[in-house]
Amino acid sequence: MAELVAVVGVQHNPLLWRTMRDPMPADLAATHNNFTRFRNALAAADPEALVVVGSDHLRKFTFGNSPAFCIGKAERFACTYENEIRTFGLDVWEVPGDPELAAWLLGGSKDLTDGFDFAMSNEWLLDHSYAIPLVYLTDLDIPVVPVHTNTGIPPIPAASRFAALGAYLAAAITTAPFSRRVAIIASGHLATEVGGPRHFLGGDSPDAEFDELAINWMRTGDLTGAVAGCTLDRLLAAGNVTAQYLNFLTALAAAGSRPAAFAEGTASRFAAGPFFRWDTA
Amino acid sequence: MIRFQIDKFITYVEGTDEQVRRYAIDPAGYVAEWVQRGAAARTPIPDGGPLSPAARDALSKVDYAALYRMGAHPYVLWHFTEAVLVWAGDLAWAELKEQFRAAVAGAGYPDFAT
Repeated sequence: MAELVAVVGVQHNPLLWRTMRDPMPADLAATHNNFTRFRNALAAADPEALVVVGSDHLRKFTFGNSPAFCIGKAERFACTYENEIRTFGLDVWEVPGDPELAAWLLGGSKDLTDGFDFAMSNEWLLDHSYAIPLVYLTDLDIPVVPVHTNTGIPPIPAASRFAALGAYLAAAITTAPFSRRVAIIASGHLATEVGGPRHFLGGDSPDAEFDELAINWMRTGDLTGAVAGCTLDRLLAAGNVTAQYLNFLTALAAAGSRPAAFAEGTASRFAAGPFFRWDTA
Repeated sequence: MIRFQIDKFITYVEGTDEQVRRYAIDPAGYVAEWVQRGAAARTPIPDGGPLSPAARDALSKVDYAALYRMGAHPYVLWHFTEAVLVWAGDLAWAELKEQFRAAVAGAGYPDFAT
């Protein structure tokens, strides 16, 4: 039987790649320390596979084809796109996949897939939603099953579906008929805006009130409150790409709605960066 | 469909260095070629499509404020604008950041569903 050995949620701000470097700028030290702390916690959990719940940024899935939820079952995945290398200075990375675990999550456990239907991808160039968590939390050597959630192209699934996704992933992982130590990494934002009237406000959040609620839902394990509070209108009001916060509802649900052992919106020159970690049973 | 066609255009251009360069050199000419290809009978056409007169005008002038008001996807629109005016142009990033914010401030949050 497989085990769920860790659940974490982190930011994927691609602007960190050029800026969070030695000599470490003072405002980014806390972010760097949190990534290091989470990297150590993940290493201690010793996962053999990572289910990374992120949101492709209109690269793999665009306006001509936009699945609500998609699981990648390739043997290897590369990162990232030409435009992300140009814009963010990202490197090109490769990570192994885990087709066996992916196939199981896609429907190997048919009793569990009632009410949850994924799209599937056999070939997927991962963008920074996956690359940034992986490069800061791992040595890129642990097999990955990427899960795409559509948080960018309307219609965006309701918050309840992100919670259902987390519950499904946890149930499917813990009932898999093969041995695997699995960690879930959720990748997202707090209140964030790109290309709007409140973008790039320095260290100021586009919606500090939302950030406080968003961190507290994780800190207290209040999945019901999070689902109720994350209407699409409220998310949009908090910034035009804030819907990526929904991936943390998936993490919270996967962790059994337990209060997070660590929940913080880390301040820096950028909008507050989320760090959430749950103890697994 | 108007918003979809704008998003399709800016996503395609922003996707590769080559297309950013080509568009930045002659936006109006690039748009004209795009529309011409889009007039083919069969779709989908990966690098072409119909554009409304207003969208065609805005894309020909790199008028990001107008595109924002039309409901172009804000994330893609920002990176498209950044690529064309900063990476392939001579505008400083910090300058564009301020100009963009000011230009769209009065428009609020147009619906960007396609």
